[in-house]
Amino acid sequence: MPTFVYMSKCDGCGECVDICPSDIMHIDPTHRRAYNIEPNFCWECYSCVKACPQNAIDVRGYAEFAPLGHIVRVLREEAKGCISWKIKFRDGREKNFESPIRTTPWGSIKSPADYAAPSQDAFETQELAHEPETLNIDQLPELTPLKIKDGVI
Amino acid sequence: MGFFTRRKTVFVDSDILVIGGGMAGCGATYEARYWGRDLNVVCVEKANIERSGAVAQGLYAINTYMGMQWDENQPEDHVRYARNDLMGLVREDLGYDIARHVDSSVHKFEEWGLPMMRDPETGQYQREGKWQIMIHGESYKPIVAEAARKAATKVYNRIMVTHLLMDETKPNRVAGAVGFNVRTGDFYVFRAKAVIVAAGGASHIYKPRSAGEGMGRTWYAPWSSASAYALPILVGAKMMQMENRIVLTRFKDGYGPVGAYFLHLKTYTENAYGDEYESNWQDHTRELVGDYVDRLPVPTCLRNHALLQEIRAGRGPIRMVTKEAFQDPHKETVGWENFLGMTIGQAVVWASQNIDPKHTNPELTTSEPYVMGSHATCSGAWASGPEDCAPADYQWGYNRMMTVDGLFGAGDTIGGAAHKFSSGSFAEGRIAAKAAVNYVNDLGRDQPKVSEAEYEALKKTVFQPMENYEVGRNEIVAGTVSPSYLLPIQGLQRLEQIMDEYVGGIGSNYTTNEPLLTRGLELLEMLKEDLDHLGAEDLHQLQRAWELNHRVVASESVTHHTMFRKETRWPGYYYRADHPKLDDTDWHCFTLSRYDRESGSWNLETAPVHHIID
Amino acid sequence: MFTSNPFAELAAFLPAIAMQVYIVLMIVAVAVGTLLDMIHKNSGKFFAEQRKKSKAAATKKLSGAESASIAVKTLAYEVATAGEFCNMQRRISHILMFYGFIFYLVTTIVMIFGYPTHATPTPAFIPALWNLGVIMILIGGYWFFFFLRVNVAQDGQPVFRLVLADLFIVTLLGSVTFAFVWELVQTTGNLAATKIAFGLYILFTTLLFGSVRWSKLAHMFYKPVVAFQRRLDEASGSSSLPTPSTRNELS
Repeated sequence: MPTFVYMSKCDGCGECVDICPSDIMHIDPTHRRAYNIEPNFCWECYSCVKACPQNAIDVRGYAEFAPLGHIVRVLREEAKGCISWKIKFRDGREKNFESPIRTTPWGSIKSPADYAAPSQDAFETQELAHEPETLNIDQLPELTPLKIKDGVI
Repeated sequence: MGFFTRRKTVFVDSDILVIGGGMAGCGATYEARYWGRDLNVVCVEKANIERSGAVAQGLYAINTYMGMQWDENQPEDHVRYARNDLMGLVREDLGYDIARHVDSSVHKFEEWGLPMMRDPETGQYQREGKWQIMIHGESYKPIVAEAARKAATKVYNRIMVTHLLMDETKPNRVAGAVGFNVRTGDFYVFRAKAVIVAAGGASHIYKPRSAGEGMGRTWYAPWSSASAYALPILVGAKMMQMENRIVLTRFKDGYGPVGAYFLHLKTYTENAYGDEYESNWQDHTRELVGDYVDRLPVPTCLRNHALLQEIRAGRGPIRMVTKEAFQDPHKETVGWENFLGMTIGQAVVWASQNIDPKHTNPELTTSEPYVMGSHATCSGAWASGPEDCAPADYQWGYNRMMTVDGLFGAGDTIGGAAHKFSSGSFAEGRIAAKAAVNYVNDLGRDQPKVSEAEYEALKKTVFQPMENYEVGRNEIVAGTVSPSYLLPIQGLQRLEQIMDEYVGGIGSNYTTNEPLLTRGLELLEMLKEDLDHLGAEDLHQLQRAWELNHRVVASESVTHHTMFRKETRWPGYYYRADHPKLDDTDWHCFTLSRYDRESGSWNLETAPVHHIID
Repeated sequence: MFTSNPFAELAAFLPAIAMQVYIVLMIVAVAVGTLLDMIHKNSGKFFAEQRKKSKAAATKKLSGAESASIAVKTLAYEVATAGEFCNMQRRISHILMFYGFIFYLVTTIVMIFGYPTHATPTPAFIPALWNLGVIMILIGGYWFFFFLRVNVAQDGQPVFRLVLADLFIVTLLGSVTFAFVWELVQTTGNLAATKIAFGLYILFTTLLFGSVRWSKLAHMFYKPVVAFQRRLDEASGSSSLPTPSTRNELS
């Protein structure tokens, strides 16, 4: 299910080139717009489709097994924290879905450096950052002698 | 290079270098900052950490969550589960270590903004199964990447790391890495005190079912180019269980996930004639593996095995019975969103073939083999375990440090810790990072130093494919066929064919034997020699060339390990036709290997499996 | 200098009618080039089919007044403010070139047809606007060429490796740069140097308008049409995109 780019919608901004995990979205030398240079390395991850500010990228299922005429389009609204999908079957049936993608504003994650620095003793323990508090139990589990089975099978 | 451009060498110094910006790499970067407030923490990624790695399109479930806060599971329960699924052979210390930490990572994900589904009655996370919870995870990776960006001193995107660098002052100690910028072509020399390898495992080492465009739709991301294995192997780190490849039973063509279907929607499989078939193969499987087949839940490989047997008996295709479950509108929504949040390609396949699970029971299929460390499989580097519970011979240094000093690993990189999935990989990244910070702090004045001779030689090696193409191109008029250089795709297709035919791919029914493996090694040897003649037209092709190089190294390791283990431990993943049964007498052990780069030879040995949990 | 009509000085070696004929030829070249491009690509048929598909998929029929209002919005936003560009730097650079070119082109035609020689003195504001246009094009254009072209900025290509897509910007910059150089050289009174500079100006200008069949110049006609069609699709429900969510922004 490789991606393709609509000529009339792409304005050559390069967001897709920047985001593609497979490094296959590049700029065409004739039109200075984006295209998929290696569909056989396209995972159909839709990263480029979601990143395109012009909704200029779409997907056509892999030719070996996907007949023509289907549509799976997406609208990722980052600011609203949600994503919407429109699926049209080859025979015209349609399904629509909307899901949340995030509950907090983008950029709001607290840096680990903004927490109080760990004590010297803490370096010696097995506890990771924010433990045991973020485990929501009293302490990090460890294997007591009772739990350890001796020897090898 | 052109008339106006010159290839620069860029030096990047750091205390901790995290190679790979996926789930494990982002976890490592985050934790390294917490413990190393004044340390220089660098994360380098060949793509863009915003969407890199196997979680690019998102996930619909977190498959490793204990739920200790609600007394749902304890870490030792998870060890028993993983051990059972892997037919007894896991590093119980590493598995316990991840299981006890993973809940805190999941709670941080929620705090950071990952939408978790909740059970309407209990208010707890919505369970998909005993270990899995359901999430709206389309932005799982961007959220985790944000945490990593906040923590890192600097994140380098679009730099592919090709080799590790060793310390020239002390033997067997890592000192950094080299790579190239995929956009500008600059050569990068990373000088680091500690290195955490958190790169991708191996997809595309076996021939996939589709060979055209469709080869892009692998189950495991096509950009997992086995760097997690090649980088440590080439500097002499010991690897474990590289024969333990995984084969997945998933929805046909799209390889869409079946977990939510089985566990949450309670769908089930049947053969082409509408009959249940798994129980038919119980006795036959018991002949091969003994009472492992009676343990519940049935190990993943044995379920594959039953399916493969049924298909060989001519009663395929196997289908997932969805018609019943999909009558419920909530379940129908879950069924579709399950794909849209993690394997959109499956929705595309169904839309294209007019498959509505309400009216049709879709086909399942088995994939080609993959080698990775985080799923129902645990190939990877041999690493030192946690100080408080690792048996003596599993512990020689800092937690998650390999047999090379200062070289740490996390995620698909590390072997033995099966069923860690995304959250466990992130947790393992955190574990490795804390250990790496301690290592760096303990170094004091004794710091590793890269060898200028080594990186200057590597600079030539790294860009050699581009020179090969440029020069060799003069020989032919046009086209892809050259007698003097091989395009990366051509080399990849040869690798995939060798592995498919000789090391148990789909084309050989996942079956191999010693004569086949011997021949496979001969052909791999010739392929390795041909790799000196790869021709890369541009920087994108150069990236493909190095991905191929890493894949070949890993494939060699897989083949040696497969030859070494003289039994069939995981029928359904692969079969040794010359040793068709499970053999707990001689082979209830790990296989370890070490590649010696001076001599080019492989040394294989066994290591005991210590069961520290009853 | 910047307030005197540079074309009037051409009378020293060129009759006024020559420039007037040249302008007409360039207009014809653009029209013919665009037409040839469309015929070669059969894009007329493609756009007609797209319109048919869009009408068939429409869930709502738009009245004449609604379509007209959408056309006005397209002109006011996409055309007048380069609204399609999400990247602000590219948007500003494009606006500079777009309006600069309009000032430059209109004033060129006015000067060549309305004030061809010194016999008809040119009001100062016209050449001033001509120079303003030239400077706007040069600033927007060189900024784009060195820093904003996506194949250079995002795809790692070296600045001076030219591809077919560069034909438009290179001939535009060549034309306008030599327009400016010619104007400056002409004020020195050196006839030979003036002829050379003017020759280069005409060369690049001819390349610019003559290469329409192969360059991106024709996009100045296609883009507004496509933007209009896109707005029509959204308004009439024939877009295949999901409808935007009614949720509020995250806070």
